[in-house]
Amino acid sequence: MTAYLANLATLAAIFGILAATLNVAVGYAGIFSVAHAVFFGLGAYAGAQLALLVVPDALLAMVVAALVAGGLSLCLALPALRVRGEYFVAASLGLQMMATTLFTEAKGLTGGMGGLVGIPRPMILGVEVPTLALALTALVLILLATWLMARGSFGRTLRAIRDAESAAEALGKNINAAKALAVAFACAGAGVAGALFALHMSFVNVESFTLDQSVLIMAMVIVGGTGTLWGPLLGAVLLLSLPAGLSFLPFIPPTEIGAVQQILYGAAMTLLMIFRPAGLLGDMRTGRKA
Amino acid sequence: MSGAAHPLVCRDLSISFGGVKAVQGVSLALPAGKVLALVGPNGAGKTTLFNLVTGNLRADAGEATLDGESLLGLKPWQVARRGVARSFQDLRLFTHMTVRENAMSATERGSWFWQAGDAKARAARVEEALAATGLSDLAESRAVDLAYAERKFLSMARILAAEARIWLLDEPASGLDLSSRQRFAGLLRAANARGITICLIEHNLDVVAELADEIAFLDRGVVLAVGEPQAILRDKALAAIYFGERAA
Ligand SMILES: Nc1ncnc2c1ncn2[C@@H]1O[C@H](COP(=O)(O)OP(=O)(O)OP(=O)(O)O)[C@@H](O)[C@H]1O
Ligand SMILES: [Mg+2]
Repeated sequence: MTAYLANLATLAAIFGILAATLNVAVGYAGIFSVAHAVFFGLGAYAGAQLALLVVPDALLAMVVAALVAGGLSLCLALPALRVRGEYFVAASLGLQMMATTLFTEAKGLTGGMGGLVGIPRPMILGVEVPTLALALTALVLILLATWLMARGSFGRTLRAIRDAESAAEALGKNINAAKALAVAFACAGAGVAGALFALHMSFVNVESFTLDQSVLIMAMVIVGGTGTLWGPLLGAVLLLSLPAGLSFLPFIPPTEIGAVQQILYGAAMTLLMIFRPAGLLGDMRTGRKA
Repeated sequence: MSGAAHPLVCRDLSISFGGVKAVQGVSLALPAGKVLALVGPNGAGKTTLFNLVTGNLRADAGEATLDGESLLGLKPWQVARRGVARSFQDLRLFTHMTVRENAMSATERGSWFWQAGDAKARAARVEEALAATGLSDLAESRAVDLAYAERKFLSMARILAAEARIWLLDEPASGLDLSSRQRFAGLLRAANARGITICLIEHNLDVVAELADEIAFLDRGVVLAVGEPQAILRDKALAAIYFGERAA
């Protein structure tokens, strides 16, 4: 039971990181991406390969994963951010679909459908460390970074861009540079989550990095409250515990859990958007018609 | 028509949208430290002219210079960093940010984690801008919760805090009542006294008569007249165009 809870807590922390970092793009900068799982995957593969081929050092794995995911996102975001909001969503959707195929086909790097197996336990300076401690520490640091960023001038710049891009630009802000930095931060965070995920599961394959996963992360952000510090974390915990909670209910046959879960997700999202459009922790005054 | 006497100059600026010649061959120079009012009927091309100067639109032909250096081809944020601030007809406030954050954001041009210049000086400029626009008591309210006139003044507070040398104001006084208009006039005069050069788009000719040092009359993308307010406002032909009594 302890192992079960520790596993759940580790996953909650990892998905908390994913939701919190996606929130920097969606909630603060108003950049809607449905490709967050791509960068989660890049980080996972990078971290896994590093552990498998070089050294199972957790810190190194996270740093490399952050650099790979953040760096690639920057290369992709710079051209993609030139397009208007609606088109960016479409572009990120295209990226997600392309990446799923690439992850499946690039067997040398990703192990294809079979994935990468036997990823060694994470160490720091040669000592094995529990992934729960790693994940919680990373989550705290990322939330702290987000909090510092949100209350500083960069957070204000992102919110200004979200509210009125042309006015922000007319005040002398290089909006593409600011957006690119927000995306790189968000995706580097996803990369860290990926490395943690690979080290925790000791197995990764493409199924964790599909469009479904991106949508789930987006749902966590929206359910919890976009543009809030704690909302995405709450969303991650809620949406992760739902399947776990359902499996404890005796009257639902195990084979039906998936379907029940889908229906509950759908119903909860719909009700939430009607009654609390800004999410559970969101500002009640936003999101409604004036 | 350039240099110290006229910091911002347009020469033969033109742009068409499909068949609409929104701005055709406009030449105009803003007198330094003065208010030039840009008047003309709806659709005359006033806002389009601003958009050409600020880099929001690309001119088909012509030139716009600031202190003799071309502005054309620059991005809006680059034009802003050269000292040109503009307001928008539809305000474009940062709606979910507070009044103070709106003004604060106007002092922050750096796109990344740091800001150039002294943070205390920037904060002081924000408080000054809020005081001058009468918004100090509303500093913690969100822009979206403000009343109409307060929103207009918040748009002005952003301009004040931005610390620009040239202000391009798109109908900032429309719909203001008399006392608000007086406060607004005070803002412009104080800015002029500090050497700020202003181009003001305004429909209300009483406001224009009160504030303008010079008037440019724009119609169908063409400057029909530029000159002293008294001369322009008395011109019967211009009045006929302005009040829609134009012969086909
Ligand atoms: N981006 C655009 N695309 C197409 N047509 C445009 C665009 N911007 C302006 N126009 C057209 O150019 C003409 C001039 O418009 P503009 O907004 O500059 O007028 P204005 O003088 O500011 O009018 P108003 O007093 O109503 O604000 C109009 O016919 C308008 O429809
Ligand atoms: Mg206009």
